[in-house]
Amino acid sequence: MFILIDRKREKKTKVFIPEQKTFDPIDARIRRAMKTLTADNLTGLLVEWREGDQAAFDRLMPLVYDQLRRIAHRYVQRERNGHTLQTSALVNEAYLRLVDQHVVWQNRAHFFAVTARVMRHILIDHARRRRYAKHGGEARQVSIEEAAAMSMERAAELIALEEALDELAKLDQRKSRVVELRYFGGLSLEETAEALNISLMTVRRDWRAAKAWLYRRLKETE
Amino acid sequence: MRAERWQEVETVLQDALDRPPLERASFIADVCAGDEELKTEATTLIAAYEEAGDFIEQPAIARDAYVLLGDDAHGSVGREIGPYRINERLGAGGMGEVYLANDTRLSRLVALKLLPVYFASDDARLRRFQSEARAASALNHPNILTIYEVGESDGAYFIATEFIDGKTIGELMREQELPLAEILDCVEQVASALAVAHAAGIVHRDIKPENIMRRRDGLLKILDFGIAKLLEPAKLSETPDDVHDTAGYRTHTEAGLVLGTVNYMSPEQARGLPVDERTDIWSLGVVLYEMLASRLPFTGATRMDAMVAILDREPARLSEAANNHARSAPLLQSMVDKCLCKEISGRYRTVSELLADLKTVREQLDGRAEPATEKQPGAWRLTTRLSPRFVSLFAVVLLLVIAIAGVLLYRRSTRLNQSDTTKALSTRPVKLYSQMSERERLDFIAEQEQRISSMMGDRPVKLDESAVRTIKTYVDRYASRMSGPAVEDSGSITAVYERAPPYIPLIARSFAARKVPVIIGIYLPVIESGYRPCSAGNFGAKGLYQFLPSTARIYGVSRQEMCDAEKMTPAAAHYIADHMAELGEDAQSVTLVLLSYNRGAGWVRDSLRQVRGAENYARNFWTLLANRETLDESFRKETAGYVPSFFAAAIIGENPEVFGLHIPPLSTLAGG
Repeated sequence: MFILIDRKREKKTKVFIPEQKTFDPIDARIRRAMKTLTADNLTGLLVEWREGDQAAFDRLMPLVYDQLRRIAHRYVQRERNGHTLQTSALVNEAYLRLVDQHVVWQNRAHFFAVTARVMRHILIDHARRRRYAKHGGEARQVSIEEAAAMSMERAAELIALEEALDELAKLDQRKSRVVELRYFGGLSLEETAEALNISLMTVRRDWRAAKAWLYRRLKETE
Repeated sequence: MRAERWQEVETVLQDALDRPPLERASFIADVCAGDEELKTEATTLIAAYEEAGDFIEQPAIARDAYVLLGDDAHGSVGREIGPYRINERLGAGGMGEVYLANDTRLSRLVALKLLPVYFASDDARLRRFQSEARAASALNHPNILTIYEVGESDGAYFIATEFIDGKTIGELMREQELPLAEILDCVEQVASALAVAHAAGIVHRDIKPENIMRRRDGLLKILDFGIAKLLEPAKLSETPDDVHDTAGYRTHTEAGLVLGTVNYMSPEQARGLPVDERTDIWSLGVVLYEMLASRLPFTGATRMDAMVAILDREPARLSEAANNHARSAPLLQSMVDKCLCKEISGRYRTVSELLADLKTVREQLDGRAEPATEKQPGAWRLTTRLSPRFVSLFAVVLLLVIAIAGVLLYRRSTRLNQSDTTKALSTRPVKLYSQMSERERLDFIAEQEQRISSMMGDRPVKLDESAVRTIKTYVDRYASRMSGPAVEDSGSITAVYERAPPYIPLIARSFAARKVPVIIGIYLPVIESGYRPCSAGNFGAKGLYQFLPSTARIYGVSRQEMCDAEKMTPAAAHYIADHMAELGEDAQSVTLVLLSYNRGAGWVRDSLRQVRGAENYARNFWTLLANRETLDESFRKETAGYVPSFFAAAIIGENPEVFGLHIPPLSTLAGG
C-alpha cells in the first residue's frame, strides 16, 4: 500500500500506478445473470447440460448459486443453534424448491452434480483472489467481508486441493467426481452413488482411494 | 503416472485396505515383490490413508459458508422485526449483532441489538434478561444510552436503543492520543453515570472503551448497561455463596461473557467471584490507564495470560509511558492505583470518592501553571528567620556557585562549538536536497541506494539509470510534502518521520530477534501506515505494518490487538522472516524479500523465473524492474513502486539533514 503517495498525481505519471482494475468476480457475474433466468427453464437446462452443452452450465449457475446461498445461510444458522445437519438434506430442499414435484430422477442427480460444480467454482475463484490479498496486488478487489470469510491458509489449501483434483481427474476421472460431489456438493455416499449411477460399494472404494491419493499429493506439495 | 499403472496401484491399495491395519504392510510386501515402484506407491498411499483422519470428510460448506453469504452474511438488511425495519448492520459484539433500524411507528432511527440465538433456548435466562433489561431501561441519565424497548418478535429477541452517531472511545484512542483534558472529562462523565446506576443497584460489569461512545457534540454515552450480567449463568449471580462451582465457571465461559476482550475485567470477574460496583471502578481504572499511557495495564498473548496479568501483575508506572501524558502522570498515578487495587477493599468504595479525587487532581493540574511562591510560603519563612550574618554568608556562597556554574557552562559551550566545527570540517557541508540540481539529485540517490542496500545486507548491484530515476520520483514526491503543519497533519512527511523515533527500539529488538535487517522494519511503516500505530488501510489492514486481520491472526495478533505496536511489530518481523525462509536462496536479495512482503514469495519466484535468461539477470528486484515490460501487468501497475518508495523513504530517513528534518538518522536510534 502506498500510503504516502498522492494517487491523483500518480495517474499522470503512468508508470507504476496502482490502478483500479475492473475485476469481475464470479459471484458478480452470477448476480447479473440471475436477472435473466427463472426457475421455469431449470429442467430444460439440466437436460442440456447432461447432453454436454457447456453453455447450459453457465446459465444454471445463477440459479444454483442462489440456492447455495440459502443453504449456506441455513447452515450458519443451524450451526449457531448447535445443530448438526446434513448438507445433502439442504441440497434436496433446494432442489425441491426449484422444480415441480414431477421431476425425473436423473434431473435430481444432475442438480446435485451441478451444485457441487458451482460450489467448487465459487470457492476456488474466491481462493484465487484471496491468495494475494494481504495488501497490494489484487487486494483491491477483495472486500473486508470477503477477506474475513476465508483465511489465507484456507485459500492456499483450496487451491492446492483444486490442483490435486485436476491431476486426479487425468488419472481417474470418476474418483475426482466422487470427491467433487461429496466435498463440494456435500452429498452422502448414497446420493453420490445415485448421482453417478454407480454402486454404493464403488463409491466407498473410490472415496477411500481418492482420499488417500489426494492427502498424499497435498502432503508432497506442502 | 499413466492411468493403467494407477489401476495396478489402486488394486493393491484396495486389497490392502480391505485387510486389518496390522496386516497391510506384509500384504503389500508380498504382492509387490520385485516391483519396488508399486510397493512404494502402495505403501505411501496406505500411510496417507491412515494419517488422513477426517481430511475432506466435512463438506466444504462447513468451513466456507461465509464465502457464499458474502456481504449480506447476516441476511438481515431489509428484515422487519416487530415495528423495526433494519437498514444496515452496525457491528457485532458478545451480545449479538447490532443494526441501524427504523422505528416505523415513530419514524425515528434506533440501534437494534439482536440477541444471540443461544439466548432464546434458556427460559430462565430469558426471564432474567427481560426483568434486568427493564431495570436498566429505567436508568435515566444523560450519559447512559436510553433503552426504548426490549422485546421479542418471531423468536428474535431484541433491544431497541437510542442511536448514537459518533465514535467509541476505543476508536478515538486508536485514531490519536487523547488530550489530558478530554481524558479527565471522559472519566468524569462515565463516573457520574456510574454513580446513578450504582445508586439504583445496577452494576455495568463491562465498562470498556468499546462500550463508551462520544457523540459529535462531546457528550458521552455508556452502552449496554446491566446487559453483561444477563450473559452470565443464573447460578453464579443468584447463589453468590457457591463461588467455587467449577461447572458454573465453565458455563460462564461458554455463555460468552468473556467472548469479548478480557483486558478490562476485574480480578473478581476473572476468578468468577460475585461482583459489585467496585468492579466497574476497576474497569474504569483500566480505561483511564489506557487513555493516559496509550497502552493497556494488563495484557497477555492469550486470554489466560491476560487474566493471569490481571490477577498477579502490577502495571507499569504511568510515568514510563512513551507519550505526552507521562509528565502529568504522578498526579494521576495514585488515582489509577486506587482503581486498580487487586483487593476489592483497597479500591475506592464508591464512584463518588473517585469523583472527589478527580476534582482534586483537576485543581492541581490547573494550579500547576501558577507561580509556586504562593503555595509554598515555608521557604520564605525560613530565610526571614535567619540572622543577617547567615544571610550574607548565604549570598557569598550563592555568588560562588553562580560563578563556577558560569565557567562550566562557558567551557561546555565552547567544547560543543569545537566539536561542531570539527564535524563540519570532516564531512562535506550538507547541501539541502531542495537546492540540488537534477544531476546532483540523481547522484545522491544512486549513492544512497548503495548505502541502504548494504545496510540491508544486499550484494552491491549497480543500478541502471531508470531504476535510480524511479526512486527519485518517490523521493521528489515525498520531498514535495515536507512542509505543512507538523504533528496534526498526518500527510506531511515531516510528521511521519517525527512520529517514528519512539518505535525504533521496539522495531530493532523485534527484527533483530528474527534476523531480519532492522532497516526493513524501520522504513516499512513509513510507506505502510505513515507511522500511525493504528492507521486503518483498505480491507481492514491496520497498524504500523498494515496487516489484514486474517494475516495478523495467523501471526497471533487478534483483530483488537492490531493497533498494538508491541504485538504487531514482532508479528511483522516474523512474517518477513517467513518470507525470507520461503524465498530461500532468493532471499539473499533482501529487496526481493521486501517485494514479497507486498506481493507474496511465490509470486516473486514466478517473476524471477520469467526474466531468467535476461542478459542482466541477477536475483534482484532491480532486475525485475529493468525487465518490467516482460512481466505481467500487475507488476508494472501495482508492485513496481513498492520497493522504490521504500528506498525513497529510507534515503530520507537516513539523511534527515539533507531534507531539513530535525531528527537523527532513524537507524542510529536502533542502538547496538
